[in-house]
Amino acid sequence: MSDVISVELLDSRTAVSEALDESRASTRADFFRKAIVGGGAFAAGGVLIAGLPSIALGQKSASQDQEILNFALLLEYLESEFYVEAVDRGALSGETLEFARVVRDHELAHVEFLRSALGNNARSKPQFDFKGTTSDAGMFRATSVVLEDTGVQAYLGQAPRLRRQTLPAAVSIVSVEARHASWIRRIVGKPDYDGRAANYPAPAVLDSPLTRSQVESRVQSTGFIQG
Amino acid sequence: MTNETLTLEAVDVDGAIRETAEAVAGDTRAGFLAKAGLLSGGAFGGSTLLAFTAEAAQAQSRSDVAILNFALTLEYLEAAFYTEAEEMGALDGELALFNQVVAAHERAHVRGLRSALGSAAVKRPRFDFRGTTESASAFTSTAIALEDTGVQAYSGQAPRIKSDAVLVSAGRILTVEARHAAWIRDIAGQDPAPRAFDRPLTMRQVLAAVAETRFIRPARRRRRRQGGSNTGSGTSPRFTG
Repeated sequence: MSDVISVELLDSRTAVSEALDESRASTRADFFRKAIVGGGAFAAGGVLIAGLPSIALGQKSASQDQEILNFALLLEYLESEFYVEAVDRGALSGETLEFARVVRDHELAHVEFLRSALGNNARSKPQFDFKGTTSDAGMFRATSVVLEDTGVQAYLGQAPRLRRQTLPAAVSIVSVEARHASWIRRIVGKPDYDGRAANYPAPAVLDSPLTRSQVESRVQSTGFIQG
Repeated sequence: MTNETLTLEAVDVDGAIRETAEAVAGDTRAGFLAKAGLLSGGAFGGSTLLAFTAEAAQAQSRSDVAILNFALTLEYLEAAFYTEAEEMGALDGELALFNQVVAAHERAHVRGLRSALGSAAVKRPRFDFRGTTESASAFTSTAIALEDTGVQAYSGQAPRIKSDAVLVSAGRILTVEARHAAWIRDIAGQDPAPRAFDRPLTMRQVLAAVAETRFIRPARRRRRRQGGSNTGSGTSPRFTG
């Protein structure tokens, strides 16, 4: 069993580096890091304030962008750890396992990209407890639907608050989260989704944004983040 | 490689695409927004696409209108393709369900964008889907191309949008197109999410891809009827819709 796990880890590292190469994430992350951290304007590890802090809600700034990307990073840490653990636990098979592997690699690439863009200002990864949802295929699938849909809604809620120069990062990620959401919804519900639109891979004409506090409530109610 | 400009002109129905591209380049359109009556977007499917106040509408930039018209052109195309496929009846099972659901979404996107644009909305082109709505396999590969291109189009335009309200609406459509793309890809046995980051395309790149399909029929030229000869390619489209 340990041989299989080693191969899994090797595959995931290779896949992640392929994903990074393909997306030239490190080059793009460099660009965003300069945009957010501002080149030489901030000491390594120092406080990110250039002039007056923005007090008004909705005021776009480098420091707000950093705040938002760190929020995104938290969600990507949560998703990536969830999928890493689910693949490792060995309770998945068939297309559910394929979904978990592919999406794990994508979320790991998102984490690397955001960490690289944030540089020394990247938040650390918290501890997680997935409460058994990674050890049972049905619970894994149901949890994945919630995580991916919430990720879409979180990015939609934050995107307009970003400075436009930072926006491409969020845009290139949100559509992939939407693909993930659609994919796991299909795995759960095909071919007829119980005849209910709410179960469809694309359940609505428009996806709905959630505010940061709405997303935080949802995440908190899972109990997954330990601190 | 085809001459991109010639190809665009050849399929530019009633100048719809050219209008859009010119508006992007800074064509003068002062004052039309006042006439356009861009008020809070009408509800459709229970959601309001664009919640403009009258004041916000007055302040809409030319370039945002051009971007919305670009989006509308793509939505016209998708809506017409899926609607024609419904009428053809060549699909069954989950593919037919996909078609039915997505057709309704795209028609709703058209209504929402037209409502938001008011009299500034470009006209609906005429289409010829060249048989792609008549078999499951042609439908599937075309739908994959349309949805993936839609994702890339919205991704490419998002950072160019000036109004935050318009950006929210564009984002809410982008993610639905991505869901469509993953759904049809999975039905077809292809990777629903082929890469970790989706790649944006420019407006020009998207319009060139659309032009290559030849789905948009050339604008009718005014001509005297003399014996009724048809100057078309010889393939008659199934619907003029």
